Amino acid sequence: MRRAAAPLNQSPRLDILHSNLLAELFRAQRPDERLMVLDFGYASPSTVEFFSQFKCRLDFIDIYSQQFIVDADNECSHGELVKQFTKAINLGADCKLDICLFWDFFNYLDRPALKALMAALEPNIDQYSRGHSLGLLNARNQLPFNRYGIHSSGSLSQAEREGEQPLVYPHSQRELNTLLDYWEIDKSRLMPDGRVEYILLENRNPRPAAGRFL
Amino acid sequence: MFNKDKIKEKYQSAIAKSIPPDTQVSNSKPHLVQGGTSMIGPSVKIEGKITSDESLLIEGQIDGSIVADSSEVVVGKSGILSANISAKVVKIEGKVKGDIAGGENVVIAKTGNVLGNIQSPRVTLEDGAKFKGSIEMDPGDKAIKELPLSTPSNVKAHRSSPDSDAKAS
Repeated sequence: MRRAAAPLNQSPRLDILHSNLLAELFRAQRPDERLMVLDFGYASPSTVEFFSQFKCRLDFIDIYSQQFIVDADNECSHGELVKQFTKAINLGADCKLDICLFWDFFNYLDRPALKALMAALEPNIDQYSRGHSLGLLNARNQLPFNRYGIHSSGSLSQAEREGEQPLVYPHSQRELNTLLDYWEIDKSRLMPDGRVEYILLENRNPRPAAGRFL
Repeated sequence: MFNKDKIKEKYQSAIAKSIPPDTQVSNSKPHLVQGGTSMIGPSVKIEGKITSDESLLIEGQIDGSIVADSSEVVVGKSGILSANISAKVVKIEGKVKGDIAGGENVVIAKTGNVLGNIQSPRVTLEDGAKFKGSIEMDPGDKAIKELPLSTPSNVKAHRSSPDSDAKAS
């Protein structure tokens, strides 16, 4: 399932998507009040603008453009994949994340790659961690090749990504719940075009009480 | 080598674009830090540490570091830096590989391309700006402690059960 993207010299149009779930990311807060955010995508002006209201650290890793993702090698062992993801994520084990913005990245990973990503990210996740991702209701729905950002606490921004869309591996919600290991899908929302928005909570530890970001 | 009027005009224009409109004084020229400005031209290449009390406009190449903690640093469109930058205000229109510390504000313009980590109370990316790395912001007393999260009356989200797939509601 590949398709060509917009020409490189054409400025992509920015769309705003309503989101009922995004605000859920801010419901638990670590006591030290400094938000740690890992954005798997492209640094979006709207995301930076949104988080400029907070004391925070944002890490933009644009993992989609990593060579091992673009030229995915199915012969890679689990250990090698974990190493590559760990290098791409580039966080110390003592860094605990409050918010993971996965966007639609899970859809570009087959089952072994998704398991390796979870293994690489595990040291940085604890009971305060929350995640946001986008999936497909089923394999008949087409995944647009977009980059995303946070526009407000109730909306996302999206724009077409440059380059060629990698292979898409649609995962059902049930499959994701199995593959995501220490995450569980807490809430989901079907979007009009067949995409599904998910809020992920860590499921190994007791939930902390809701913090000040209510 | 230096045409001071031309440099000043270009510098003022760059600074004007880097200052948010609501912080500019109307009917006044962009504020320049006392002590003047210096330009490093497109054909200049410097290796080493630059320390400056003056504001800088950099159109050339620098490998090393720049410290201008009381002043402003603008990396122009033709500027290519492999350097850490520390300044009161930093605006990037060219390419920078290195860490940036802004005492007040860091702006990556639409033509800017930064690979590194940024630390500043406020950071702005313009549409089209390319950035990879981390951004650490602390707006101080202006930092919000809670979001005004109201629950819309037409909430469509539903709590998931492990056996369910997403459904429209």
